[in-house]
Amino acid sequence: MGISDEKVVAVIMVGGPTKGTRFRPLSLNIPKPLFPLAGQPMVHHPISACKRIPNLAQIYLVGFYEEREFAMYVSSISTELRVPVRYLREDKPHGSAGGLYNFRDLIMEDNPSHIFLLNCDVCCSFPLPEMLEAHKRYGGMGTILVIKVSAESASEFGELVADPVTNELLHYTEKPETFVSDRINCGVYVFTPDIFTAIQGVSSQRKDRANLRRLSSFEALQSATRNPPSDFVRLDQDILTPFAGKKKLYTYETMDFWEQIKTPGKSLKCSGLYLAQFRFTSPNLLASGDGTKTATIIGEVNIHPSAKVHPSAKVGPNVSISANARIGAGVRLISCIILDGVEIMENAVVFHAIVGWKSSIGKWSRVQASLTYGYFYMILMTKSYVI
Amino acid sequence: MDSSIYRQIGTCITMKALILVGGFGTRLRPLTLSIPKPLVEFANKPMILHQALKAVGVTEVVLAINYQPEVMLNFLKEFEAKLGITISCSQETEPLGTAGPLGLARDKLIDGSGEPFFVLNSDVISEYPFKEMIEFHKAHGGEVSIVVTKVDEPSKYGVMVMEETTGKVDKFVEKLKLFVGNKINAGIYLLNPSVLDRIELRPTSIEKEIFPKIAAEKKLYAIVLPGFWMDIGQPKDYIAGLRLYLDSLRKKSSTKLATGHHIVGNVLVHESAKIGEGCLIGPDVVVGPGCVVEAGVRLSCCTVMRGVRIKKHACISSSIIGWHSTVGQWARVENMTILGEDVHVCDEIYGNGGVILPHKEIKSSILKPEIVM
Repeated sequence: MGISDEKVVAVIMVGGPTKGTRFRPLSLNIPKPLFPLAGQPMVHHPISACKRIPNLAQIYLVGFYEEREFAMYVSSISTELRVPVRYLREDKPHGSAGGLYNFRDLIMEDNPSHIFLLNCDVCCSFPLPEMLEAHKRYGGMGTILVIKVSAESASEFGELVADPVTNELLHYTEKPETFVSDRINCGVYVFTPDIFTAIQGVSSQRKDRANLRRLSSFEALQSATRNPPSDFVRLDQDILTPFAGKKKLYTYETMDFWEQIKTPGKSLKCSGLYLAQFRFTSPNLLASGDGTKTATIIGEVNIHPSAKVHPSAKVGPNVSISANARIGAGVRLISCIILDGVEIMENAVVFHAIVGWKSSIGKWSRVQASLTYGYFYMILMTKSYVI
Repeated sequence: MDSSIYRQIGTCITMKALILVGGFGTRLRPLTLSIPKPLVEFANKPMILHQALKAVGVTEVVLAINYQPEVMLNFLKEFEAKLGITISCSQETEPLGTAGPLGLARDKLIDGSGEPFFVLNSDVISEYPFKEMIEFHKAHGGEVSIVVTKVDEPSKYGVMVMEETTGKVDKFVEKLKLFVGNKINAGIYLLNPSVLDRIELRPTSIEKEIFPKIAAEKKLYAIVLPGFWMDIGQPKDYIAGLRLYLDSLRKKSSTKLATGHHIVGNVLVHESAKIGEGCLIGPDVVVGPGCVVEAGVRLSCCTVMRGVRIKKHACISSSIIGWHSTVGQWARVENMTILGEDVHVCDEIYGNGGVILPHKEIKSSILKPEIVM
């Protein structure tokens, strides 16, 4: 086995306009994967993480959006990171595993030894090189990234049980009603090419069962929509659950942060998590200032080079200011995302909010969200005027 | 009545006034937790001075109160000397209503001269027409002269039904639901000493018991107040009253009102207060002595009492900031927030309608109106 010849391909599932409707209203203006977190599109973060994988040959973005929505982004990110990134559009839903299978020819073109599968709306530190090393040691078909969460929130995710010594996946169940485990599936996986064989197996098994049912007249009366089409294969229910305990799947636990970016409110929290990570990985992306020549900066803040911030403003912690925004004198920004072209006039205060593209916030205004239950963030949509 | 008793105004006439102060001023808490209500400043002057000063020819003021007089008298000693009037207190040991206190203070009000005396309400701010009242009283020769004022919502108060030309009052109706008239009792009276003979020493309402009887005897006359009138016993009326008062200053082209490119509308700023760069003050704002308003502050429809510091970029509207309090940088205080004495609102805090008791520090935002003890 020539280790230097082992190529790796990464596949990032980006969803589609009809999926992830919980991200509205922000996703009404821009595809969710392109919404900025910590100053960069959401999908940029897993893509940069993939770049750290040795021998990375190709990154595929797979989703339901029109090709043109991703065309510009894909070409610019390929140039910027010097790694081929390509967007593949699914013509119809195939399920989370079926989508991977659907593009197997393209994926296997470079004859990769390993394939990463990531979900775009996952916010974490993406320890991909470490995961790959662990996977090679285990020698299984796939390794899942897992994290420990609080027992109460675990039921929102896929709960799993792993062997504490071998790290083998022993049991997996998606969104259970009763408590199974406080370790959950992070939505980041690495597979060997035999995953495709496994998916095909599930697919053909389903086809056989469907044929059998057609022969039985009673079951033929059941509506066709009750049973998914044979090529619709879900990763969780159809692969992880049946293959658990068969020495095929393993787990790798991360001790860093992890969040799902399902709602706009979460995007503000995740933007903060990535900004905090920049302190270690890319400190050059963080702004600094003490109020003399440039604005006072508190904590982690990202400011686009084209944005203008008055020196008497105080910004941070957890603030991201996008292109061409103008922040006036005496403004206070705390925990917010200021999108492109926003104008914030003198002495205004923005607190826990997302201010939509080209909005205007008048002098002495205050935009603030309440934080009583969990995280509720105020969102100002495009071209809002606050006076 | 012997008309020779009434001499011209301006010569040595000694008149008396009774100011119904009443109790602890609970509606104006938390301000009244620190000082007695008549001493709470309105437009940079203690409420009581708005009345005593204007009282032309009054040399003796009796305060009818129902708590410890020592507190009041201590504060008032300095004013006594300044204004050249004597101030005494008449203390109720049990609540006596609105007429009882007059009976209780009888000895202080009657000196044998037969002069009528004023009765005022300490909660009322208005353009007191004392001179006109004396002339009116002299002209009609009745027993009682009452000032009435026109209001939008008469059923909140006591309504007077009277003859337009003479001012003789036919009826006096308290808080009726039906519209009988829009002139209400402004709580400013000029009474002949004989009224005191009608009052028994028990809880009595002057409006419900004494005045209707006098009206029936056709001895009750009312004069319409031309200027503004406001009962400022509670915070929202205090703020509304400020607007009226500052407006009346504007009408008189008073030089007291502030001017400048950072001033909008009617604003009163004490000469010892400091206002920073880039502020926008007004309309309807009063800034008290020794206040410091730092740069970039927005103040509208509010009162800032003595010694307050408003830090940079803060924004205050429709609120009262109590003595020696501070409002932090970028804080926003609005919607009838009342800060008591020595309250400190931390930086970036949002206060929506909070009523804050003295000596508190506000470290987290108040999102809906509440009382903070």
